[in-house]
Amino acid sequence: MTEPRDDDAHRAPQDEHFDEQVRTVYRRGREGDAAAQARVLSRLQGAPEASADGRARGLRWWFSLQPFELRPVWALGVLAVLLAGSAWLGSRLAPTPPEPAPVAAGPDASGTAANASGIPVTFVLRAPGATRVSVAGDFNNWDAEATPMSHSGTGDLWILNMRLPRGVHRYSFVLDGTEWRPDPSAPLAADETFGGHNSVIVVNGAKGL
Amino acid sequence: MRRWSTAVVALFLAASTAWAGDEASDEARIHARLSGEAARQVSAVVREARAMGLPTDPLIARAFEGASRGADDAGLVAGVRRQASALAAARTSLGVASPSDEIVAGASALLAGVPADSLSRLRAVRPGGSLVIPLVVLCDLVARGVPVNVASVAVVTAARAGATDGALLRIRERIHTRIENGGAPATSTGEVVRQWLHESPAKTKRDAAPPAERKKVP
Repeated sequence: MTEPRDDDAHRAPQDEHFDEQVRTVYRRGREGDAAAQARVLSRLQGAPEASADGRARGLRWWFSLQPFELRPVWALGVLAVLLAGSAWLGSRLAPTPPEPAPVAAGPDASGTAANASGIPVTFVLRAPGATRVSVAGDFNNWDAEATPMSHSGTGDLWILNMRLPRGVHRYSFVLDGTEWRPDPSAPLAADETFGGHNSVIVVNGAKGL
Repeated sequence: MRRWSTAVVALFLAASTAWAGDEASDEARIHARLSGEAARQVSAVVREARAMGLPTDPLIARAFEGASRGADDAGLVAGVRRQASALAAARTSLGVASPSDEIVAGASALLAGVPADSLSRLRAVRPGGSLVIPLVVLCDLVARGVPVNVASVAVVTAARAGATDGALLRIRERIHTRIENGGAPATSTGEVVRQWLHESPAKTKRDAAPPAERKKVP
């Protein structure tokens, strides 16, 4: 155990002189440096601008690429959650019943909102004796009732104006709901997977195709 | 490096989300239209095709066509499977970079009995151009009774001679007219293509001629 020291009692005169010199230097620094005071005032006056810069920097941070670290196991977890969520969302947003295709019952219907997109095409069929004719194809889920043609009024001509998206579409005419018949004016699809030929229409916006 | 990693992860997540959405949408369409077992089997074929990067809409359309035409479940599923195999084979023959429409048209040709090497030859003739119309014309000729080898040679020869899509469609119409007027399909095809080559510019005729005949040209 050590004895407590009484520093003041043992202070030498040269120590007191040294302390006085240090105090003098510090006092001079605080009171006499006008340039330092000016700098401090200047900074204080500029403080709002500095704050605006900070906000700008903060905004830029959101739009700049930022490196981040991610444990692979967490990445897989996030991916699984995203996949499950999007699958659920997809099943909710997907059409549950087969959606009726864009139907153009006649030339007047071709400008409706339901079929405003796509390239206009016209189907024509001469079908003597038919009481109703429709078109079924890739573009309407092969629904034999969804896209009826219009009787021209005289003769045996049935007409349908509609818009189709670009691409290759197979289709067939359906007479009276039972008889499937390819389009005599269009190329045939060669395969007969389900017992009958289909026709092919290539929609690409080019003249003559 | 980390920035690239972030971008790749974000891209992967976005693609996965879109992929999952497409799959859910297809499943809903299939199950809404087809009966339980057929829907399950068609869905499996569609999933497999999607995993291979093949277009899936033609498969669903084929299933719906079968349903509308009254095919039984087994026939419907078999038709969809054949279509999927044909799509894969068509992509192999035409090249993996071929657009979806070409693959669909190529699959239709293969299902009609056109040999795969005819598709590859067509691709070689038009390396950068669309093959949709040549394949549609080829299928049409086969469907009208032109023997597969005759139809293949006719279309490849015309395409090699520089026939445009419009020219190919006109050739098809001429052949169709001759057949409707009683001409034999093979003979009509040969005559129409020879006539077209005769009418076309000399340069394209030389290009279309087989190598043996080309030597005779001075």
